[in-house]
Amino acid sequence: MFENIYPQLIGLCAGALLLTSALMVWRHSLLASIRLLALQGIALAALVAVIGIAEGESELVLVSLLILSVKGIGLPWVLAYQSKASIKQIQESPRLNPTAALLTVTLLTILSYVVVSRVFGLGDSSTGHAAPIGLAMVLIGFLLLISRRRARSQLIGFLLLDNGIATITFLTSGGVPILLEFAFSLDVLLVVLILHVFAGRMRTKFGGTAVDQLRELHD
Amino acid sequence: MSGIGAGLLLQLGLGALAVLTALTAAPSLRSRAVGILCTLIAVIGFLTGLGAMLGATGGLRISIALPIDPLLLAPDRLGGLFMLIVSSVGILVSLYSMSSTHGPDASRTAWVAMPVFLVGMQLVPAATDSVSFLLALEIMTLGSTVLLLADHASRATVASAGIWYSAMSQLSFFFILAGFAVLAAASGGTSFTNLQEIEPVPANVAFVLLLLGFGGKAELVPLHVWVPRVLPEAPSHVSAAMSGAMVKIGVYGGLLVSVRLLPDGPAWWGIAIMVVGGASALYGILQASVSSDLKVLLAYSTTENMGLVFLALGASMLLRGYDAQAAADAALVAALLLAVSHAAFKSTLFLGAGAIIHATGERNLDRLGGLGARMPVTAAAFGIASLGAAAIPITSGFVAEWMLLQSLIHGGRLDGAVVSVAASVAMPLAVAVIALTAGLALLTFVKAYGIAFLARPRSTEAAEAHEVPPLMQLSLVLGALFVLALGLLPGPIAALVAQTVSSNPSAAVQSVGLGGVSLPGIGAVLDPLMLVVLSVLVAIPVIVSIIVSALRYPHRTVELPWGGGGSRARPRMQYTATSYAEPLVRVFDDVLKPSRDVQVTHVAESRYLVERVRVEQRVSDVFETRLYRPVLNLFQRYGIVVRHIANGSIHRYLSYSFVALLIVLIVVSL
Repeated sequence: MFENIYPQLIGLCAGALLLTSALMVWRHSLLASIRLLALQGIALAALVAVIGIAEGESELVLVSLLILSVKGIGLPWVLAYQSKASIKQIQESPRLNPTAALLTVTLLTILSYVVVSRVFGLGDSSTGHAAPIGLAMVLIGFLLLISRRRARSQLIGFLLLDNGIATITFLTSGGVPILLEFAFSLDVLLVVLILHVFAGRMRTKFGGTAVDQLRELHD
Repeated sequence: MSGIGAGLLLQLGLGALAVLTALTAAPSLRSRAVGILCTLIAVIGFLTGLGAMLGATGGLRISIALPIDPLLLAPDRLGGLFMLIVSSVGILVSLYSMSSTHGPDASRTAWVAMPVFLVGMQLVPAATDSVSFLLALEIMTLGSTVLLLADHASRATVASAGIWYSAMSQLSFFFILAGFAVLAAASGGTSFTNLQEIEPVPANVAFVLLLLGFGGKAELVPLHVWVPRVLPEAPSHVSAAMSGAMVKIGVYGGLLVSVRLLPDGPAWWGIAIMVVGGASALYGILQASVSSDLKVLLAYSTTENMGLVFLALGASMLLRGYDAQAAADAALVAALLLAVSHAAFKSTLFLGAGAIIHATGERNLDRLGGLGARMPVTAAAFGIASLGAAAIPITSGFVAEWMLLQSLIHGGRLDGAVVSVAASVAMPLAVAVIALTAGLALLTFVKAYGIAFLARPRSTEAAEAHEVPPLMQLSLVLGALFVLALGLLPGPIAALVAQTVSSNPSAAVQSVGLGGVSLPGIGAVLDPLMLVVLSVLVAIPVIVSIIVSALRYPHRTVELPWGGGGSRARPRMQYTATSYAEPLVRVFDDVLKPSRDVQVTHVAESRYLVERVRVEQRVSDVFETRLYRPVLNLFQRYGIVVRHIANGSIHRYLSYSFVALLIVLIVVSL
């Protein structure tokens, strides 16, 4: 029974990951992006859980719980820590218009499929077939990093990139030991906390967190 | 563990202790405490070097995790000699700096850098693999840079000198690194014993790179541009260490390449070294002779001396290639003696210049004068060292230049036949270069000593000068004694030095008579002490008869009419350094390209009467204005263009990495 729906489940989770990534590029509101990030975290956790159940590794299920708590709940909560009222007003005015951005996302996804199939081969397993999604997420995260002006929107791009790396890891090698995953998660949490505090300081100091206005640092 | 290894380890330990002491000691104690430790480091280095030079073996082996040969510090005889040179200068400088440093020169940073500099310098000749060599070289450069920058806060020129020094020393380092990399790639190991047996092509490439690198360290033209900026701006004890000791590391590098690593090169290697050396010697002494800043003069004279050393080295390589072994060995020993004597007299001269600055605050010769009566010990030491620098007999410089000239004059012929056309053209040219250099050097140091110490004071600071503290006097006297000892007893020293480079030292150089030196292969003998005894014997009857006749006739006081014209002469009427060198500037106008500025102020009532004439003359470094400025301007323009690419926008930088990543992915999947 489970063997039959396993490929579908993997496809569903991977699809959710890609969809949330694309939506993050499309949506300009910070709150929406944070919610999408939470969804993505949940999808990633589900993906890990599915792989864990299929391979019969209880450790991976634990990892999936960890991911759910950190990426699905912890990080979005930290990002949305401000009052909802103020965060709703934050609208990103990206450097790329939505049409061009979505077109770029399409191209990046195609590129990642080409690269993975040419270089590594997709293999026969359903996880192998989904692997290019991870690379696409990394590239989309990078795109967010360079197209968003605000520090916190960039932070979301960074987290998307991190999710992409995690996705590749789980899809190609069946995950990493729980200790390593724990350390990675803590690292990311710490980075986000620091950047969050930093962005808050920037806002109180300069009245905004638009990174592209900070050019005078080069001297 | 062998004695050499223990000595090296002790130096490292003392260095660490000195750094700790400099960090923690109270400011009032710092100079004394760290100065004593630095002296100890230098003394241990001296003993270790002496041991290694006399043939003791052993060393330190430091295993490292990298997949290369272990670091090995085991000086051979040649390395021992250079450890000896460097640490002798270190002893003088450490003693001197204990009482000379004050203000920013005695800051914690400066005193931390001092032991680092000394230890780095003493470890370079001990290294027997390229990695530890480069490591020690960088430690030395780091220490010297920090020492140079001690006074950067109060003088803007120091900061500029620091930039020049860092850029040029890193350029040299790059060349040396590239040279060693080529050798290591060709031979498959980093240890010096592995770096032999190289194919001709990589050997040629490595030779050119290493020559450029070590030439830069040894202040040779055209990589000398840092010298006239750095040596004058550094505190005097640091200039003495740099010029007396650090520059010798460049010489050691040259010897390492030509004697140890790549001994059997083609003839053009020797000629290339001779050309570079000869050009440096001429250009250096020409600039020195027209300079009126005492420390700039000494700095350029360093370039001249190092040029002579490399000239001798090149001649030795050329002659060895034509099997004129005796002359080749003599030239090589002459190169080493030049290096040894330069270490002695130039560190004394720089320390003397430091004493003058300590007493007057002036290093412009045009504002000095009359210091001989006010600072007798400094004057005597500076005078003896000047004699050495001008290569006058009974000093060290003379013996070395004599030996070099002997080998050049006799080297072109072997058993009466000309060894080669190249040698028979190169040798007379080299002799001419040395002759011109020696003449100009004499003029330069007559100027330096005469204007600074003789005549009347040209400023109130010079008139109010007092002798420096005893410890500074002690190191000055020690340096001057070195200069005399090397000049009076050249035989034993030359024989000792010859053992470090020659396979058959007694065939090249022998000690004869009263410490005299003989070159059996050439058939030349020099015995300075005997000459001194002889001239004293000749002089005694003359002196006795003068005294007797003086006693026979009573002394009469004669008042010259109008004081002989001298009683109303004012200090401003005397020769200055600039006016003394003025004929030279005219003669060498085309090379030096001086810029003159004459401003005449007329009296308000009449244009026929002159109120004041102001003459300003600047001699800039031709290499700097013609070679370095255009290159720097090009870089500057490039930098301005590049600023648009790197404009400080984080998005732009991220885009660069993103595009790079995409390109990599596309290329990989093609």
